[in-house]
Amino acid sequence: MEIIRHIIIEPFEGLYAKILSFLPNFLASVLIFAVGIVLAVVFRALFFRIFRALGMDRFFERTGTVELLKKGGLGDSVAALLSKLLGWGILIVFVVIAMRTLEIPTVERLLERFLLYFPNIFVAAVIALFGYLAGNFLGRAALIASVNAGIRISGTIGKFVKYTVFVLAGTMTLEQLGIGRDTVIVAFALVFGGVVLALAIAFGLAGRDVAKEYLERKLKGEEGKDEISHL
Amino acid sequence: MNSIILRTEIQERISEIGAADILVGIPSFNNARTIGHVVKAVQAGFVKYFPDKKCVLVNSDGGSTDGTIGIVQDTAIDDSSSILFYHRKGPIFKISTPYHGIPGKGSAFRTIFQIAEALNVKACAVVDSDLRSITPEWIELLIKPVIHDEFDYVAPLYHRHKYDGTITNSIVYPLTRALYGKRVRQPIGGDFGFSGRLARFYLTKDVWGTDVAKYGIDIWMTTVAIANGFKVCQAFLGAKIHDPKDPGADLSAMLYQVVSSAFGLMDLYSGMWMSVTNSEPVPTFGFQYAVGLEPVAVNVERMIERFSLGVRELMDIWKEILPGEVVEYLRGMGEKPTDSFHLPDGIWVEIIYSFARAFHRQMINEEHLLKSLTPLYIGRTASFVKETWESGASEVEEKIEGLCGMFEEKKSFIVEKWDT
Repeated sequence: MEIIRHIIIEPFEGLYAKILSFLPNFLASVLIFAVGIVLAVVFRALFFRIFRALGMDRFFERTGTVELLKKGGLGDSVAALLSKLLGWGILIVFVVIAMRTLEIPTVERLLERFLLYFPNIFVAAVIALFGYLAGNFLGRAALIASVNAGIRISGTIGKFVKYTVFVLAGTMTLEQLGIGRDTVIVAFALVFGGVVLALAIAFGLAGRDVAKEYLERKLKGEEGKDEISHL
Repeated sequence: MNSIILRTEIQERISEIGAADILVGIPSFNNARTIGHVVKAVQAGFVKYFPDKKCVLVNSDGGSTDGTIGIVQDTAIDDSSSILFYHRKGPIFKISTPYHGIPGKGSAFRTIFQIAEALNVKACAVVDSDLRSITPEWIELLIKPVIHDEFDYVAPLYHRHKYDGTITNSIVYPLTRALYGKRVRQPIGGDFGFSGRLARFYLTKDVWGTDVAKYGIDIWMTTVAIANGFKVCQAFLGAKIHDPKDPGADLSAMLYQVVSSAFGLMDLYSGMWMSVTNSEPVPTFGFQYAVGLEPVAVNVERMIERFSLGVRELMDIWKEILPGEVVEYLRGMGEKPTDSFHLPDGIWVEIIYSFARAFHRQMINEEHLLKSLTPLYIGRTASFVKETWESGASEVEEKIEGLCGMFEEKKSFIVEKWDT
């Protein structure tokens, strides 16, 4: 009988006591999480109204950000997008508080590591977004400039510029996240250097005659054959 | 403050002159080859037509390195007795100064306006420094309507080669006429007369950090004068022959500066042009005569190639801006052989109005938008050259009038879509 008490009943009693002592924390945690959800929804709606009233959509439409976001598959308005992000931010803060309220050492350690790493995620996201916007912008600028210069491979030039910026931004993002730090940089340098070398060789060997013809035309002034005065 | 008036040597010169009746400004940048002739013509104009007036010649230079300023200072009329009946009562004053601000014609003009204001002049004119066909009569024609007839703005009217001034003929003239209702044939001619009052008005505008400071100045001056109710006329100056432009000058940059200024003014004066429903001629001074012009070489095939390249590569941008039927038409033209290439007036008008709307709505980056117009403009010019290859000056003028009519007819297109 004593053995049964030691093996079965006492552990259950211990478990029961632990559950009893854990339950208030758990309930507080659930309550905090629920408050977080409610506040996130309320503040999301509130921020959306404020951003709309401030004319944020019109402002970002002017800067071309809306167009780029649409291209990237984000159909929401900037006001909606930002208010959603802020809503999620509030919810994350409440989730963290709720998890700390549980007072479980393992969870606390994990949370601590996550919070220390979080700035890296934020900076990486900013780099990725900026890289995406800059890649599209510079790619389009290069495309238009080369079309106006009459270069037949304008499309390729535009894409090359765009994807070079994407790759550069991607490399910087991964470096920021600390993923394969050295490997990514070395790989980028190798790939980029290789592409440049390949292009140089290709132009040097295959495009020698084209380059010669182009330079001759430029130097002899045949490019300016039209005498139309536009203004 | 970026005012040239604050420079000590200019202030001293202005104090020395005191006040003046007439001022003629010549903007320059490395024009040593031609500016001597322009200065002589201006001086002869002062002596011959305004012997009793106190006249000042101002050269506003952009940092020439070929001795332009020296030529302006040293140039005088060699033998005035052979061309003049009158003797001047006073000297002709000259001010030659580098301008401040963004390098460009507009910044040079700003300096001229500032000196005109400081000298409290009654009438001003500006003439290009690369002109080969300027005569003393140009000064009379640009100044007299201001002094004797109280006009505030005198636009030039020239005989030009049918393929000279294609941005004017295909965009700026028809658009300005349809929008503001005044038939000013050369709104970006480059040689203008204006009153001291208008020069002072120009200086009140804060535009000197924009494209107005560059090639945009001409359309800005004309539009501001018309839209603000100043009395506008034009004067026939004969042929306009100027030094060939730098062949390396970037067409898309030039087009961007002019068109962005015109579209920017549409934004500014939308309340005015929306209510204008037709156009009227403006008074024209000067005796009109026909002149012989040198032929111009044009490579139509290469122009059509540039257009087709634009159709292949820039269609994604144009699709965002242009109506569906225009996009389909352009697609079709991009694949057609040179012989059947044609970009009709109606399509061209819808293209320009759609770009103006996209500029107003800021649908995409402004520079990308307007620089993507270049292949379409080249295509339109190629089509115009093809249609008028065998035509004489009057037939070409009729063709341009037809385009203006189309711009006026389709004005409801832009009025209705402006804010939608």
